[in-house]
Amino acid sequence: MLDTIMKTKVFGWVDRRLGLEAIIKSQLTEYPAPKNLNWMWVFGALAMTVLMLQVITGIFLAMYYKPSAMLTDGGFSVAFDSVERIMRDVNFGWLIRYMHAVGASFFFLVVYIHMGRGMYYGSYKEPRELIWIVGVVILLIMQGAAFFGYLLPWGQMSFWGATVITNLFGAIPVLGEYIGQILMGGFSVGDPTLNRFFSLHYLFPLLLVAIVGGHIHALHTVHSNNPDGIDLDQHDPKNVVTFHPYVTMKDAFAVSVFLLFYSYVVFFNPQMGGYFIEVDNYVPANNLQTPAHIAPVWYLTPWYTILRSFEVKLVGIAAMGASLAILFVYPFLDRSKVRSARYRPMYQGMVIMFFIDVIVLGYCGHSAPTETLKLVGQIATAYYFVFFLALPFLPMIEKTRPLPEGV
Amino acid sequence: MNMKSMLLGLVAATSMMVSTQVLASGGDMHLKHAEINVADQEQLLRGLTVFTDVCMGCHSAKYVTYKGLMDYPELGISREMADELRGDKALTSGMTTDLSPEDAKESYGKVPPDLSLIVPGRRGGADYIYSLLTGYTHDPAGKVADGNYNEVFPGHLIAMPDPLSWLDHDEADTADLEKQANDVSAFLAFIGDPHQNERRAIGGYVMGFLLLLALVLFLLKREIWKDVH
Repeated sequence: MLDTIMKTKVFGWVDRRLGLEAIIKSQLTEYPAPKNLNWMWVFGALAMTVLMLQVITGIFLAMYYKPSAMLTDGGFSVAFDSVERIMRDVNFGWLIRYMHAVGASFFFLVVYIHMGRGMYYGSYKEPRELIWIVGVVILLIMQGAAFFGYLLPWGQMSFWGATVITNLFGAIPVLGEYIGQILMGGFSVGDPTLNRFFSLHYLFPLLLVAIVGGHIHALHTVHSNNPDGIDLDQHDPKNVVTFHPYVTMKDAFAVSVFLLFYSYVVFFNPQMGGYFIEVDNYVPANNLQTPAHIAPVWYLTPWYTILRSFEVKLVGIAAMGASLAILFVYPFLDRSKVRSARYRPMYQGMVIMFFIDVIVLGYCGHSAPTETLKLVGQIATAYYFVFFLALPFLPMIEKTRPLPEGV
Repeated sequence: MNMKSMLLGLVAATSMMVSTQVLASGGDMHLKHAEINVADQEQLLRGLTVFTDVCMGCHSAKYVTYKGLMDYPELGISREMADELRGDKALTSGMTTDLSPEDAKESYGKVPPDLSLIVPGRRGGADYIYSLLTGYTHDPAGKVADGNYNEVFPGHLIAMPDPLSWLDHDEADTADLEKQANDVSAFLAFIGDPHQNERRAIGGYVMGFLLLLALVLFLLKREIWKDVH
């Protein structure tokens, strides 16, 4: 099919002006992918799929959404009313909005698994450090976009979540108060905050698309890692398959399975028991009434626990910043020559513990604080940092298993 | 341990945590189970009657318009009935109460919340509404006046006076009052997300299509990969 198209006159005309054939060959039909990639390698394609779904549904939502905190009858606001209008009166507005709201959670789910894959098989290590670092930038922008987006319905959790997080900046010495005011467009979360968050919520995905381009460019320069984490001769057909049709068909099947899970939630359980769309966000924002329990949406809760684990607010903020910043230096902290956890017995145990640790952090951040949970959260926070800080010393004591010759 | 079994382990651990959390949050409220069916036209219409006769004395459902009552196939009331319900309000107006916020504040100390989103907006949903309506009791401590003590309301002190006259009702009326509470809970659950039946119906077809698509793509993938060893 692709060959037939590439033989047409129109394609030739474009090709002479754009070099399209060279791009198709180098990036698709002759781009090599290790043939031993397992199913964990499909999550990058899934993340791209959700990103596209979010952008498309978001464009349509923005046609009906109105970013205004002006009060309307019954203690609601123009913004809240416009969301309900989308849910009730716009043709299939409920579908578009549930796809977008549920999509946010699925985006993080897929990206967290994608990152876990990279950590487990050592995909962040030499020569792929920049892929990982650009990926961390993507994660930060995603978190920003999700945070801005969560304010838009102007419900109770929108309002109080934004209040808690923007107030954090106030604890930063000297500049804190100023940064907080710039972010909020005033002295508290209000109408100006809603307008600038809407603007930024539209900007961030544009950045995301551009940076994802960089992420993929970096990948296509150094090529994919593989489950054994060994260097492969990318020109030897014994080791590799071409990206198209092999990987594209595998990804297509993965996307269809992903859509099954996604559609189940969208059509049958869009609130996901208050995890994907929180109960309190069906109550309009009220700056005089604080909800009994304020917690961020599940995908931000691990970092929220790290923040809460320290008595002094400033230390908590520094720790939360450090927990994200340390991801940037992760490729350089890990000094082992062996990539995959399959051949690193100690790292394997540590990284699995780390995955469990992040889930524990997330659980603690989502629950109402108790003394026990606080202690559990503190221990989990400690392990989060111990994991990274122990990496430089690991090669001194770790006996790696022998690597296989080929695939 | 390979990545696959590890993932399964993580999923199991997470779902355990989720389920314990759900138990913990529902456990301290002891909600009664509401017998509702948001696709049952008769129950929804009975609920609509309770809503307009009782609730709308003080509460609004501003996102539900009289035209909506005609247009949602689950309700499907006639134009005549809509006209009767709306009085001199516009057909496209929301179902708003005639009680002004100022008068409400004067009488009850606060403005009654809009009920359009009361079911999705409360933990426990329809069960909570049903339990609340049938939850009026005498204050065991004897401090709160009758009609302002509710066993499921957070803090127990509720501004809304017993709307169905549940407190000290005759034994013979129990079934009737429970039915009214169930019916209005069903109606409120329906208007909280009025496209929910349509959503589930379409969802069935979408899942069916995706299952077929996944099957075809799986076979295609296997066919293409069969020479790779």
